[in-house]
Amino acid sequence: MASPWLEKLKKAQKTCIIQDGRRKIHYSFSDGTELSEEYSVKNGELIVRKWRKKGTLGGVGNWDYEIGEELVPRRLDSEGMVESTANPIFVRKDTLTNFQWRIRNLPYTIDNYIVTVSDDNQQIIIKTKNKKYYKKFNIPDMERNGLVLKPENVQIAHANNTLIVTYPKPEEILKTEKQLQQELQKMKASQDGDVDCRPS
Amino acid sequence: MASVTAEKVQEVREVTRIERIGAHSHIRGLGLDDALEARAVSQGMVGQAAARRAAGVILEVIKEGKIAGRAILIAGQPGTGKTAIAMGMAQALGSDTPFTSIAGSEIFSLEMSKTEALTQAFRKSIGVRIKEETEIIEGEVVEIQIDRPATGTGAKVGKLTLKTTEMETIYDLGQKMIESLTKDKVQAGDIITIDKASGKITKLGRSFTRARDYDAMGPQTKFVQCPEGELQKRKEVVHTVTLHEIDVINSRTQGFLALFSGDTGEIKSEVREQINSKVAEWREEGKAEIVPGVLFIDEVHMLDIECFSFLNRALESDMAPILIMATNRGITKIRGTQYNSPHGVPIDLLDRLLIISTSPYEEKEIKQILKIRCEEEDVEMSDDALTVLTRIGMETSLRYSIQLITTANLVSRKRKATEVEVDDIKRVYSLFLDESRSTQFLKECQEEFMFNEIGESETMETS
Repeated sequence: MASPWLEKLKKAQKTCIIQDGRRKIHYSFSDGTELSEEYSVKNGELIVRKWRKKGTLGGVGNWDYEIGEELVPRRLDSEGMVESTANPIFVRKDTLTNFQWRIRNLPYTIDNYIVTVSDDNQQIIIKTKNKKYYKKFNIPDMERNGLVLKPENVQIAHANNTLIVTYPKPEEILKTEKQLQQELQKMKASQDGDVDCRPS
Repeated sequence: MASVTAEKVQEVREVTRIERIGAHSHIRGLGLDDALEARAVSQGMVGQAAARRAAGVILEVIKEGKIAGRAILIAGQPGTGKTAIAMGMAQALGSDTPFTSIAGSEIFSLEMSKTEALTQAFRKSIGVRIKEETEIIEGEVVEIQIDRPATGTGAKVGKLTLKTTEMETIYDLGQKMIESLTKDKVQAGDIITIDKASGKITKLGRSFTRARDYDAMGPQTKFVQCPEGELQKRKEVVHTVTLHEIDVINSRTQGFLALFSGDTGEIKSEVREQINSKVAEWREEGKAEIVPGVLFIDEVHMLDIECFSFLNRALESDMAPILIMATNRGITKIRGTQYNSPHGVPIDLLDRLLIISTSPYEEKEIKQILKIRCEEEDVEMSDDALTVLTRIGMETSLRYSIQLITTANLVSRKRKATEVEVDDIKRVYSLFLDESRSTQFLKECQEEFMFNEIGESETMETS
């Protein structure tokens, strides 16, 4: 039995390309939403997953990163206001068996952080005792599979000005990811520079 | 002790920057009571009871929002408060109803056709109230720092630190953001929200922790709690966007910045049609509501015949705003033709208009206006001086006498007086010529000016 999430991905229109050692897959859904995933060719790790939704007033929005880091130059003049680079940077960076978040630029020692799970077991909350950083986030993968978080599974570590929060992927998630991988392997990927062109 | 207070005053001056005073800055509404009867002196408006009452009736029509495409012409001699009435209407409508003000000559540009400029002005005056999920930043200002480059020219650099009860974040500011933060006079201790998509800043009030800073606080200062949790939130907000803004969002990818710079270029008519049908769809689904606003065209006699025929057509659309025009011309040539017409506006357009006329002010009213302007410009004036100034206003023009307020104040300050006296008025009256004295002077000594040897009869035919 496949999960509704897997069904949704199967139904979407997909294109696939291998570029820079990454297998890039682009999904477009019927409501105009776009999803882009990038897997490492070497070990199959998911490096980037980003969403782009249509705005209410139309126009193309910006990519919204669920996993991975946005690597576009800062356009201070067109954005008007950009978070300074000295701020903590929150990035989700999964491994094959764990969900993992890295928050860089957090110099405070490990006893400064209080990482808890919200009362409805949906969100992880990172608090700081010195009131410098606060973040509330959910794990979309868990939500899509209708799973709740177990507070005892959250682990934290701190090194090199970086706070690392880890949550092991439950059995169900590992299973759907495996199914998805099998599905994606079937897709024909065009190689970089090899443009599909058939002159009529 | 005295020196301490002097220092304090200096400090406060620095905190709240002195605003520049515009010609109509004293107007805060139309000054009508509930029965739409004009109060003698109210909200900065004086006299013109009939015209203000008429404007009040129009205002009700706009607020009902049912009728599209009505047009009003405010006609009257120079300096009889036409623009003031339009400004009063804008103020009375509040910030949620779009009010666009342009001058007739503004639409003539090399980069944009006349009709495109007019269409944009029309679409700027139609609002759409819609619910939208936006990302907002809500927090207390810890520090705002704006550095001018040492060379004096070039871009300013800015940093803004915001906090909630749980966290703190530093933002780098772009040029436009610095401008709007300075315009809104945002200071440390303010609780603000910033709409990330549009860059709009809203001041919610001052933080409770700053409740003891008595110096930078007016009677209407509101105190609010410092927000909790994360700084960036997603929120569903109902707001009014103009059709023009939706046009720009859909025609280019460069975002809201084009709205600021006005560098939108021509917008394709296909895009507009698409948006019109989209808006109609939202309206049927109950997702959005149309808010017809007001387009005010000052000096409307500057438009030419093409613009007038465009207006005729545009007013018939069901998406047209209320159009208010103002002119100070009598029977004159319609621009672009050889024909004369009242107010320089073609008869067929005039036929669609409701005409409000303003009449010259009386002595009492002029005195009242001068008094209000004195208050607005923070000028102390003795009663005698005010009477003299009123006489000058009667004999020359209201604008001239208003200009004498500022200059006379400077003269009185130079002689270290606190109040403007009759002598100061006399002094500036002799220093600066008004229009009729200037004409008189020219008539008398025309021969001494340059190019005069050509003589009257040989003036070139220019038309």
